[in-house]
This record gives sequence, structure tokens and C-alpha cells, in this order.
Amino acid sequence: MKIELEREDFLTQLQAAVRVASTRSAIQALSGVMIAAVSGSCELRATDADMSLRVPLQAQVTREGSVVLPARLLMDVMRSLPRSSVKLELRPAEGDVEVLSGNASFHLRTLHAEDFPPLPAVDSDAGLTLPLGAFVETAAKVLGSASRDETRPVLTGILVSASGHEVRMVATDSYRLSVKTTQLATQLAHTFEVNVPARALQELARLAAHSEDEELSISVRQNQVVFAIGSTVLSSRLIDGQFPNYRQLLPETFVQELRFDGAELREVVRRVSLLAQKNAPLRLAFAEGELTISAQTPDIGEARESLPAPFHGEAFEIGFNPEFLREGLDAVGEAEVIVKLISPLRPGLLESGDGSGFVYLIMPIRLNV
Amino acid sequence: MRLIVARCSAQYSGRLDTVLPEALRLIMVKEDGSILIHADSGGYKPLNWMTPPTVIEQEGEPPQRIVVRKHAGRSEDRLQIILTEVLSDVTHDMGSPEEAAGLAKDGVEAHLQELLAERPHHCGEGLRLVRREWPTDIGPVDLMCRDADDEWVAVEIKRIATIESVEQITRYLERLRTDPQFASCRGVLAAQSIKPQARVLAQSRGIDCVEVDLAVLRGEREPELRLFTA
Repeated sequence: MKIELEREDFLTQLQAAVRVASTRSAIQALSGVMIAAVSGSCELRATDADMSLRVPLQAQVTREGSVVLPARLLMDVMRSLPRSSVKLELRPAEGDVEVLSGNASFHLRTLHAEDFPPLPAVDSDAGLTLPLGAFVETAAKVLGSASRDETRPVLTGILVSASGHEVRMVATDSYRLSVKTTQLATQLAHTFEVNVPARALQELARLAAHSEDEELSISVRQNQVVFAIGSTVLSSRLIDGQFPNYRQLLPETFVQELRFDGAELREVVRRVSLLAQKNAPLRLAFAEGELTISAQTPDIGEARESLPAPFHGEAFEIGFNPEFLREGLDAVGEAEVIVKLISPLRPGLLESGDGSGFVYLIMPIRLNV
Repeated sequence: MRLIVARCSAQYSGRLDTVLPEALRLIMVKEDGSILIHADSGGYKPLNWMTPPTVIEQEGEPPQRIVVRKHAGRSEDRLQIILTEVLSDVTHDMGSPEEAAGLAKDGVEAHLQELLAERPHHCGEGLRLVRREWPTDIGPVDLMCRDADDEWVAVEIKRIATIESVEQITRYLERLRTDPQFASCRGVLAAQSIKPQARVLAQSRGIDCVEVDLAVLRGEREPELRLFTA
């Protein structure tokens, strides 16, 4: 393999690949990235056995071939090179790759390419095409609610379903639940419902941010999902297990339904939360025409702020995890937010008032008066 | 227990040679032959120590030299303490070792079993206890319960559930199910903490995993509110 490429382009793609490469696999090749120069084109490949990525490289291919190099070391070397033009050449006899840029030369030992698994490609027949922006925005709304607790793998994923004219994503960590339904302009060719690791959708969102493509191809296999943005292909294993029946968790009726300016409520919550430390709850006290948000942390201090609220009825107080409430309001965005409540120990619901199809169910915290 | 506060130095020879320079130290000489030299810093760990059985010899009154010897294979461990000034030298009768209460670790399995036997619903909704230590010929099942449908449920209780815990309850279930009346008996692994690998293995075998919180079990704290039981 012998190629010549531009350092900045290479670094952009390499950074994405390094995020996917394994950091703790017993197979050393998985800690590397594969540079594959085949049929005049070149791409970068990385995998940690759960997720894999193929990104195209703009390179001038002099000699075809493929090689696996240590991912992080390669990135450090690339960052340090003095010139923008870089030449990489495999030296089979030495078992290394020569990296040349200006007067600098490096010889990087290769990893075993035969240990590097083949990566999936998009199955164009079995797949469907979606607007990339809509898919990624849908994911961004719910990603925060996915659990980070690896002991409950099923909750570390996002339930992605697509059918008819809509895409729906659901995430929950058992303390909150986010559901975002996005309407599409065109009817989808296939339907599916899969539990995709949140990490894969986060990576997809990052790739989308650097892409000018507007379409996303998705193909779902037995235990794998493959996303393609142009020539960039991200695949991930699917999460096994029964995702909670989220429809059952959404209460059918609420006692209070209050509309707030989303930005105003978010700012008040953000300010008062500064004094809700060490697991202290954020207290929301509803009284006639008014909402008072307060927080108190022993030995630190307290904060309180009121804002007008269209509340009528018997006053009550409900406590929430400040971070969870803030994340829910952030996901609602600038739009009007509808706060739906039942009682201090029943879940509350934040709903986007602009009809964008986002709901955020959040469990309260017991308040010890 | 003899407690000597003294300005002293110590020399150890044995597996390696060490020298402890002269300074004010606490020397603890225990009835069982243990000897420990402590500084007023450095946490719980002594600077020098010797475990029993030892031979302790003292020269002078108040003590000027204490020599502790212990056979270690064909060689000898030797700790020599030179005392230049004794500030305090007291001996306390601590009673016989048999009378001394051992360290009671909170949350041990027996304690968990006791608490869960009183509140079996923490192991699964609608569970009611039939018997603790249900006998089988390969060992007792911690709790034998029935669920809301009157089906048998075997509960294995651990402080920390590991793969081996899953294997253990699997063995019990296999044994129990050989009896037709327990053919549909299901298993629950209840623990304060369940290792991820144990959870995966248990779920693959249809064994429910339940993490229990000691403070909640004791009624010291209300359980966290969740949308569903995770």
C-alpha cells in the first residue's frame, strides 16, 4: 500500500475512527485503524466488535493494499506532522508503515491485519432511506434519557421504530422517559423497531454534523443495524432484551396542565439548581397563579425564584432531580413547554407545546418536608 | 494488652532488614504474642509488627530493650526495640479472647436473608415466604416462596452476586425441578450488588435478578421513585 493524502482531511476522518476503535480489547488489531486502499479508492476502518465505522479518505493511491496501525499513535503522529502533505507506504519486509511529511519520517509497526474483522456494508435492497437531519434531531432529543448503567444493557439503548410516515425514538433510564416522534414527508418503504446502543446514535450524530449529505440509509439485520451517510458507514450490534413498554408508562390523564415559556422556565431552573447540590432535590411549589422553585443544600445555601403560573387548585409541592428536570427542559428547547402533573409522588410530564411530538416523563423525588 | 508509649528505635531482621529511627511511638503488646509499633500518623498500619507465635524478652524495668523473636522456617525473624524514655506503660485485662465479640459486618448474607424473609415482596412483586433454608439434598435454598399465581419461587441471597451465585441457584433449580410439584419453580437472585456478567448469565437462564438496598429493607429510607422496576 502506498498513498498520499492531506493531513487535515485525514485527521478529521481519523478522529472519528479513533472514537470507535477499541480501547480495551484482547485482540490488539481492534485497537487499530485499517487503511484500505482498494480499487483506486481509500477508506479508514475501525471497530470495537460492537460498533464499526468505515469512512472514505481523499487519497492518491499509488499502490493498493491495506494495513492496520495503532489508532491513537497514528493520530498523535498525524497531529504532529510539519507539512500538510503526508505519504504512507507499507514496507512488508520491515513490517511497518513509513510516514513521510516534509523532512519528518516515522516508521510505525503494523498490527495483524488478519485479526481485523470484515466490516458490514449497506444492504441497499433491505434498507430504507430517511432524511438525515430529521433522524439525528430525533435522536438528539432522547439521547440524554438513555441509561449509562451497563448492568441493565437494555436501557442503554434507544428504541428506534420507523413505520409509515414517522420515526419514533424512545429512551429511558427508569427515572425518566423521552419519546420523540418525527413526521416524515414521504412514506417509508419498510418498517422496523430495534434497540440501538445510545453510543452508536451519538456517533451517528457526530458524523452527521460533519457531513453535507442529507440522506441516511438504514438497513436492519438480525442483530445489527447499518447506517450509511454517503460513503461513511456506521454499523452497530443491536441490544437484546425486552425494552420497557413505554406506552404503559405514560399516564392517560393528569390533574394539572400548565403552559410556560420554555426559555424562562429553563433559566429559572438552571439558576436555582446551582444550590441543589449533593443530591438535594429541586422543589417546585405550585400555588394560585404562581410557581416557586427552590433548592437548599445544607452547609452550602439556598435559592428561590418565583414565576407566574396558570395554576388553580390546592397548592402542592413536588421535588425533582435538578439535572433530570433541566435536561428535559433543554430537550423541549425554546418552545412553549406544557407541564402536566398528577400528584407529588406520581410522574410529571414535560411536553413540547409546538406540537413537535416530544414528551419527557420524569419521576419525582420524595420530599422530606 | 500492654500499651507502652516510649521514645524508641527498632531494628528488624528477617525476610529483610529494616531500621526504625528513634522517635515517640506506641508499642502494643497483645496477649496472643502480637507486637505492633505505631506512630501517631500513617493510618491504621503499624510501622513494625510481628505476628504470633513469638517469644518476647524484656530487659530493664522500666523496659530498656525488648526483643521479639519468631521462627520463620530455618531462619529467625527478630525485632529489637531500644527504649530510651518510657512515658507510659500500662497493661489492661481485656478478658479472654472467647468473650470478645467479633466484628459484626453489616449486610452479611444471614442478615439480608432475615430482612428479606420478613419482606419477600422485595424479591418480586406478590412473593410470600413459605420457608427459610428450604432443604434440598445439595444444600438449602435461602428462601422458598410462592408468587401471586401460587407458583414456587426459589430465592438465592448474596451480598454480591457473581457468576458462581448464578451457578448455585441453577443447581438448586435443577434439583428442585426433578420433583414434579416444583417443575415450574423459577429462580430469583437477590443481592445488594449484582455483577454485570452474573446478570447476563442469570437472564439468559430465565433467573430474575433483584438488587436490594439495605437501608430501604430496614425502613431507614424510602425507596427511590422509578417509572418501572428496572
